[in-house]
Amino acid sequence: MSSPTPYRSLRLCSSGGGFEALPERNVQADLPEVRRLLEAEGIRVVDARVLLIAATSPEVTISRSGRILFKTQDESAARSAFERIARIARFEQTLRPAVGAGPRG
Amino acid sequence: MSRGVMLMSGGIDSPVALDLLLRQGHELLAVHLDNRPFTDDSPLEKIVDHLALLRERYRQPIPLYVVPHGPTQVTLMRSTDRHVGCVLCRRFMWRSAERIAEREGASYLATGEALGQVASQTLSNMRTATAAVRLPIVRPLIGLDKQEIEGHAKRLGTYAISTRPGVCCQAVPDRPATRSDLIQIGGEEAKLDVDQIVDDCVRKAIVL
Repeated sequence: MSSPTPYRSLRLCSSGGGFEALPERNVQADLPEVRRLLEAEGIRVVDARVLLIAATSPEVTISRSGRILFKTQDESAARSAFERIARIARFEQTLRPAVGAGPRG
Repeated sequence: MSRGVMLMSGGIDSPVALDLLLRQGHELLAVHLDNRPFTDDSPLEKIVDHLALLRERYRQPIPLYVVPHGPTQVTLMRSTDRHVGCVLCRRFMWRSAERIAEREGASYLATGEALGQVASQTLSNMRTATAAVRLPIVRPLIGLDKQEIEGHAKRLGTYAISTRPGVCCQAVPDRPATRSDLIQIGGEEAKLDVDQIVDDCVRKAIVL
Protein backbone atom coordinates (compact mmCIF):
# COMPACT_ATOMS: atom_id res chain seq x y z
CA MET A 1 0.00 0.00 0.00
CA SER A 2 1.22 3.47 -0.84
CA SER A 3 1.71 4.84 2.66
CA PRO A 4 4.92 5.26 4.66
CA THR A 5 3.56 2.94 7.35
CA PRO A 6 4.51 -0.61 8.29
CA TYR A 7 1.63 -2.06 6.25
CA ARG A 8 2.14 -3.87 2.97
CA SER A 9 -1.15 -5.53 2.16
CA LEU A 10 -4.73 -6.22 3.13
CA ARG A 11 -6.07 -9.70 3.63
CA LEU A 12 -9.49 -11.21 4.21
CA CYS A 13 -10.01 -11.81 7.94
CA SER A 14 -10.41 -15.39 9.19
CA SER A 15 -14.22 -15.30 9.24
CA GLY A 16 -14.41 -13.75 5.78
CA GLY A 17 -16.52 -10.80 6.90
CA GLY A 18 -13.95 -8.06 6.47
CA PHE A 19 -10.44 -7.10 5.44
CA GLU A 20 -7.62 -6.54 7.87
CA ALA A 21 -4.29 -4.73 7.69
CA LEU A 22 -1.55 -6.05 9.95
CA PRO A 23 1.66 -4.09 10.53
CA GLU A 24 4.83 -5.84 9.38
CA ARG A 25 6.65 -5.00 12.60
CA ASN A 26 5.46 -4.72 16.19
CA VAL A 27 4.02 -1.29 16.79
CA GLN A 28 1.88 0.45 19.36
CA ALA A 29 -0.76 2.88 18.19
CA ASP A 30 -1.19 6.11 20.12
CA LEU A 31 -4.96 5.65 20.32
CA PRO A 32 -5.79 8.89 22.19
CA GLU A 33 -4.00 10.86 19.48
CA VAL A 34 -5.59 8.80 16.68
CA ARG A 35 -8.99 9.46 18.23
CA ARG A 36 -8.28 13.19 18.45
CA LEU A 37 -7.24 13.36 14.80
CA LEU A 38 -10.25 11.40 13.59
CA GLU A 39 -12.70 13.46 15.63
CA ALA A 40 -11.08 16.66 14.35
CA GLU A 41 -12.19 15.50 10.89
CA GLY A 42 -15.76 15.05 12.15
CA ILE A 43 -15.54 11.25 12.37
CA ARG A 44 -17.46 9.73 15.29
CA VAL A 45 -15.28 7.38 17.31
CA VAL A 46 -16.16 4.72 19.90
CA ASP A 47 -13.23 4.59 22.33
CA ALA A 48 -12.93 1.22 24.07
CA ARG A 49 -9.46 2.05 25.46
CA VAL A 50 -7.65 -0.85 23.76
CA LEU A 51 -9.28 -0.18 20.40
CA LEU A 52 -11.13 2.52 18.53
CA ILE A 53 -14.08 2.05 16.20
CA ALA A 54 -14.41 4.80 13.62
CA ALA A 55 -17.91 5.33 12.20
CA THR A 56 -16.71 5.70 8.64
CA SER A 57 -18.05 3.84 5.64
CA PRO A 58 -16.98 1.08 5.91
CA GLU A 59 -16.65 1.04 9.70
CA VAL A 60 -13.03 0.67 10.82
CA THR A 61 -11.58 -0.84 14.01
CA ILE A 62 -8.07 0.27 15.02
CA SER A 63 -6.37 -1.82 17.72
CA ARG A 64 -3.56 -0.72 19.97
CA SER A 65 -1.36 -3.35 18.30
CA GLY A 66 -1.87 -1.58 14.96
CA ARG A 67 -4.28 -4.15 13.52
CA ILE A 68 -6.92 -2.43 11.44
CA LEU A 69 -10.18 -4.13 10.47
CA PHE A 70 -12.46 -2.87 7.72
CA LYS A 71 -16.05 -4.12 7.95
CA THR A 72 -16.56 -4.69 4.28
CA GLN A 73 -16.14 -7.61 1.92
CA ASP A 74 -15.20 -5.21 -0.89
CA GLU A 75 -11.40 -5.08 -1.10
CA SER A 76 -11.27 -1.82 -3.04
CA ALA A 77 -13.52 -0.13 -0.45
CA ALA A 78 -11.23 -1.41 2.30
CA ARG A 79 -8.15 -0.14 0.44
CA SER A 80 -9.66 3.32 -0.01
CA ALA A 81 -10.66 3.41 3.65
CA PHE A 82 -7.11 2.45 4.65
CA GLU A 83 -5.58 5.27 2.62
CA ARG A 84 -8.01 7.76 4.14
CA ILE A 85 -7.57 6.60 7.74
CA ALA A 86 -3.77 6.41 7.42
CA ARG A 87 -3.70 9.98 6.15
CA ILE A 88 -6.09 11.46 8.72
CA ALA A 89 -4.64 9.54 11.66
CA ARG A 90 -1.04 10.28 10.55
CA PHE A 91 0.11 6.72 11.03
CA GLU A 92 3.70 7.72 10.29
CA GLN A 93 3.57 9.59 13.62
CA THR A 94 0.94 7.78 15.68
CA LEU A 95 2.24 4.23 15.15
CA ARG A 96 5.38 3.81 17.19
CA PRO A 97 7.69 0.83 17.51
CA ALA A 98 6.62 -1.34 20.43
CA VAL A 99 9.16 -2.17 23.13
CA GLY A 100 11.45 -4.86 21.74
CA ALA A 101 10.03 -4.23 18.30
CA GLY A 102 11.06 -6.38 15.40
CA PRO A 103 9.44 -8.14 12.50
CA ARG A 104 6.23 -9.98 13.33
CA GLY A 105 6.90 -13.63 13.91
CA MET B 1 -44.27 -28.02 28.45
CA SER B 2 -42.35 -25.18 30.07
CA ARG B 3 -41.32 -21.87 28.61
CA GLY B 4 -37.67 -20.97 28.15
CA VAL B 5 -35.36 -18.28 26.84
CA MET B 6 -32.77 -19.34 24.26
CA LEU B 7 -29.61 -17.26 23.79
CA MET B 8 -28.89 -16.96 20.06
CA SER B 9 -25.50 -15.89 18.68
CA GLY B 10 -25.82 -16.46 14.94
CA GLY B 11 -23.36 -19.35 15.15
CA ILE B 12 -23.81 -23.02 14.32
CA ASP B 13 -24.73 -24.27 17.79
CA SER B 14 -27.64 -22.17 19.07
CA PRO B 15 -30.17 -23.02 16.32
CA VAL B 16 -29.40 -26.72 16.84
CA ALA B 17 -30.01 -26.39 20.59
CA LEU B 18 -33.22 -24.49 19.88
CA ASP B 19 -34.34 -27.21 17.47
CA LEU B 20 -33.79 -29.92 20.10
CA LEU B 21 -35.95 -28.05 22.63
CA LEU B 22 -38.68 -27.19 20.14
CA ARG B 23 -38.80 -30.83 19.07
CA GLN B 24 -39.67 -31.76 22.66
CA GLY B 25 -42.57 -29.34 22.63
CA HIS B 26 -41.06 -26.50 24.64
CA GLU B 27 -42.20 -22.93 24.07
CA LEU B 28 -39.19 -20.70 23.45
CA LEU B 29 -38.32 -17.03 23.23
CA ALA B 30 -35.02 -16.04 21.64
CA VAL B 31 -32.62 -13.42 22.98
CA HIS B 32 -29.69 -11.97 21.04
CA LEU B 33 -27.10 -9.77 22.72
CA ASP B 34 -26.22 -7.42 19.90
CA ASN B 35 -22.47 -6.79 19.94
CA ARG B 36 -22.36 -4.05 17.35
CA PRO B 37 -20.12 -2.08 16.79
CA PHE B 38 -17.76 -4.89 17.86
CA THR B 39 -19.28 -7.06 15.13
CA ASP B 40 -21.11 -6.27 11.91
CA ASP B 41 -24.77 -6.84 11.01
CA SER B 42 -24.20 -10.49 10.12
CA PRO B 43 -25.02 -12.17 13.49
CA LEU B 44 -28.43 -10.53 13.66
CA GLU B 45 -29.15 -11.26 9.99
CA LYS B 46 -28.24 -14.91 10.53
CA ILE B 47 -30.50 -15.20 13.59
CA VAL B 48 -33.42 -13.67 11.71
CA ASP B 49 -32.92 -16.34 9.04
CA HIS B 50 -32.47 -19.15 11.59
CA LEU B 51 -35.71 -18.19 13.29
CA ALA B 52 -37.63 -17.87 10.03
CA LEU B 53 -36.71 -21.48 9.31
CA LEU B 54 -37.57 -22.76 12.80
CA ARG B 55 -40.80 -20.75 13.08
CA GLU B 56 -41.98 -22.31 9.85
CA ARG B 57 -40.95 -25.79 10.92
CA TYR B 58 -42.60 -25.72 14.35
CA ARG B 59 -45.43 -23.23 13.73
CA GLN B 60 -44.29 -21.24 16.77
CA PRO B 61 -43.92 -17.45 16.89
CA ILE B 62 -40.52 -17.56 18.75
CA PRO B 63 -40.24 -13.82 19.44
CA LEU B 64 -36.68 -12.46 19.19
CA TYR B 65 -35.45 -9.93 21.75
CA VAL B 66 -32.47 -7.95 20.45
CA VAL B 67 -30.62 -6.45 23.40
CA PRO B 68 -27.89 -3.84 22.75
CA HIS B 69 -24.66 -5.19 24.24
CA GLY B 70 -22.04 -2.98 22.53
CA PRO B 71 -22.22 -0.24 25.19
CA THR B 72 -21.65 -2.89 27.87
CA GLN B 73 -18.57 -4.09 26.00
CA VAL B 74 -17.22 -0.53 25.92
CA THR B 75 -17.71 -0.22 29.68
CA LEU B 76 -16.01 -3.58 30.31
CA MET B 77 -13.07 -2.76 28.05
CA ARG B 78 -12.54 0.62 29.67
CA SER B 79 -12.93 -0.42 33.28
CA THR B 80 -12.04 -4.07 33.83
CA ASP B 81 -9.22 -6.58 33.39
CA ARG B 82 -9.13 -7.56 29.70
CA HIS B 83 -7.94 -11.06 30.52
CA VAL B 84 -11.37 -12.02 31.95
CA GLY B 85 -13.35 -9.93 29.45
CA CYS B 86 -15.16 -12.90 27.90
CA VAL B 87 -16.37 -14.17 31.30
CA LEU B 88 -17.60 -10.72 32.31
CA CYS B 89 -19.30 -10.31 28.94
CA ARG B 90 -21.08 -13.65 29.37
CA ARG B 91 -22.25 -12.72 32.88
CA PHE B 92 -23.92 -9.60 31.50
CA MET B 93 -25.49 -11.60 28.69
CA TRP B 94 -26.95 -14.06 31.18
CA ARG B 95 -28.27 -11.28 33.39
CA SER B 96 -30.05 -9.58 30.49
CA ALA B 97 -31.54 -12.90 29.37
CA GLU B 98 -32.71 -13.66 32.89
CA ARG B 99 -34.35 -10.25 33.19
CA ILE B 100 -36.29 -10.93 29.98
CA ALA B 101 -37.17 -14.45 31.17
CA GLU B 102 -38.62 -13.04 34.38
CA ARG B 103 -40.61 -10.46 32.46
CA GLU B 104 -41.95 -13.13 30.08
CA GLY B 105 -42.71 -15.77 32.70
CA ALA B 106 -40.06 -18.17 31.41
CA SER B 107 -38.71 -20.72 33.87
CA TYR B 108 -35.29 -21.50 32.40
CA LEU B 109 -32.50 -20.20 30.18
CA ALA B 110 -30.97 -22.23 27.35
CA THR B 111 -27.79 -22.02 25.32
CA GLY B 112 -25.95 -23.83 22.57
CA GLU B 113 -22.80 -24.25 24.64
CA ALA B 114 -20.81 -27.45 24.31
CA LEU B 115 -17.87 -28.24 26.52
CA GLY B 116 -14.49 -26.79 25.63
CA GLN B 117 -15.17 -25.35 22.17
CA VAL B 118 -13.97 -21.83 22.99
CA ALA B 119 -12.48 -20.04 25.99
CA SER B 120 -15.88 -19.14 27.43
CA GLN B 121 -16.93 -22.80 27.40
CA THR B 122 -14.44 -24.32 29.81
CA LEU B 123 -16.12 -25.74 32.92
CA SER B 124 -14.43 -23.12 35.06
CA ASN B 125 -15.64 -20.20 32.94
CA MET B 126 -19.14 -21.61 32.46
CA ARG B 127 -19.51 -21.95 36.22
CA THR B 128 -18.25 -18.42 36.85
CA ALA B 129 -20.42 -16.94 34.10
CA THR B 130 -23.65 -18.61 35.12
CA ALA B 131 -23.20 -17.84 38.81
CA ALA B 132 -24.55 -14.41 37.85
CA VAL B 133 -28.09 -15.78 37.45
CA ARG B 134 -30.57 -17.83 39.47
CA LEU B 135 -32.68 -19.51 36.80
CA PRO B 136 -31.73 -23.03 35.72
CA ILE B 137 -29.68 -23.27 32.54
CA VAL B 138 -30.39 -25.94 29.93
CA ARG B 139 -27.58 -26.93 27.55
CA PRO B 140 -28.97 -29.45 25.05
CA LEU B 141 -25.59 -29.78 23.24
CA ILE B 142 -23.31 -30.15 26.23
CA GLY B 143 -22.12 -33.68 25.47
CA LEU B 144 -22.01 -33.45 21.68
CA ASP B 145 -18.85 -32.91 19.68
CA LYS B 146 -18.48 -30.36 16.91
CA GLN B 147 -19.00 -32.91 14.15
CA GLU B 148 -22.31 -34.09 15.62
CA ILE B 149 -23.55 -30.53 16.01
CA GLU B 150 -22.54 -29.59 12.45
CA GLY B 151 -24.22 -32.70 11.08
CA HIS B 152 -27.45 -31.78 12.84
CA ALA B 153 -27.20 -28.16 11.58
CA LYS B 154 -26.72 -29.36 8.00
CA ARG B 155 -29.79 -31.61 8.20
CA LEU B 156 -31.77 -28.78 9.76
CA GLY B 157 -30.71 -26.28 7.09
CA THR B 158 -29.16 -23.75 9.47
CA TYR B 159 -25.51 -24.60 8.77
CA ALA B 160 -25.35 -22.67 5.49
CA ILE B 161 -26.81 -19.62 7.23
CA SER B 162 -24.43 -19.81 10.20
CA THR B 163 -21.32 -20.13 8.04
CA ARG B 164 -21.96 -17.08 5.89
CA PRO B 165 -19.11 -14.53 6.17
CA GLY B 166 -19.16 -12.19 9.13
CA VAL B 167 -16.86 -10.14 11.33
CA CYS B 168 -15.78 -11.91 14.53
CA CYS B 169 -16.28 -10.16 17.88
CA GLN B 170 -13.56 -7.51 18.13
CA ALA B 171 -13.91 -7.32 21.91
CA VAL B 172 -12.30 -10.74 22.47
CA PRO B 173 -8.93 -10.20 24.17
CA ASP B 174 -5.73 -11.59 22.63
CA ARG B 175 -5.39 -14.16 25.41
CA PRO B 176 -8.78 -14.81 27.02
CA ALA B 177 -8.71 -16.54 30.39
CA THR B 178 -9.68 -20.20 30.32
CA ARG B 179 -10.02 -20.29 34.12
CA SER B 180 -11.69 -17.75 36.35
CA ASP B 181 -12.93 -17.51 39.90
CA LEU B 182 -15.76 -15.62 41.52
CA ILE B 183 -13.51 -13.64 43.86
CA GLN B 184 -11.59 -12.13 40.95
CA ILE B 185 -14.76 -11.59 38.90
CA GLY B 186 -16.51 -10.01 41.89
CA GLY B 187 -13.59 -7.61 42.25
CA GLU B 188 -13.87 -6.56 38.62
CA GLU B 189 -17.64 -6.11 38.81
CA ALA B 190 -17.27 -4.01 41.96
CA LYS B 191 -15.89 -1.33 39.64
CA LEU B 192 -19.21 -1.21 37.76
CA ASP B 193 -22.85 -0.38 38.43
CA VAL B 194 -24.05 -3.82 37.36
CA ASP B 195 -27.79 -3.28 37.85
CA GLN B 196 -27.75 0.00 35.98
CA ILE B 197 -25.91 -1.55 33.02
CA VAL B 198 -28.42 -4.41 32.79
CA ASP B 199 -31.39 -2.05 33.23
CA ASP B 200 -30.15 0.15 30.37
CA CYS B 201 -29.64 -2.80 28.03
CA VAL B 202 -32.98 -4.48 28.69
CA ARG B 203 -34.89 -1.20 28.50
CA LYS B 204 -33.48 -0.60 25.01
CA ALA B 205 -34.25 -4.11 23.74
CA ILE B 206 -36.45 -4.44 20.69
CA VAL B 207 -38.62 -7.41 19.74
CA LEU B 208 -38.59 -8.79 16.20
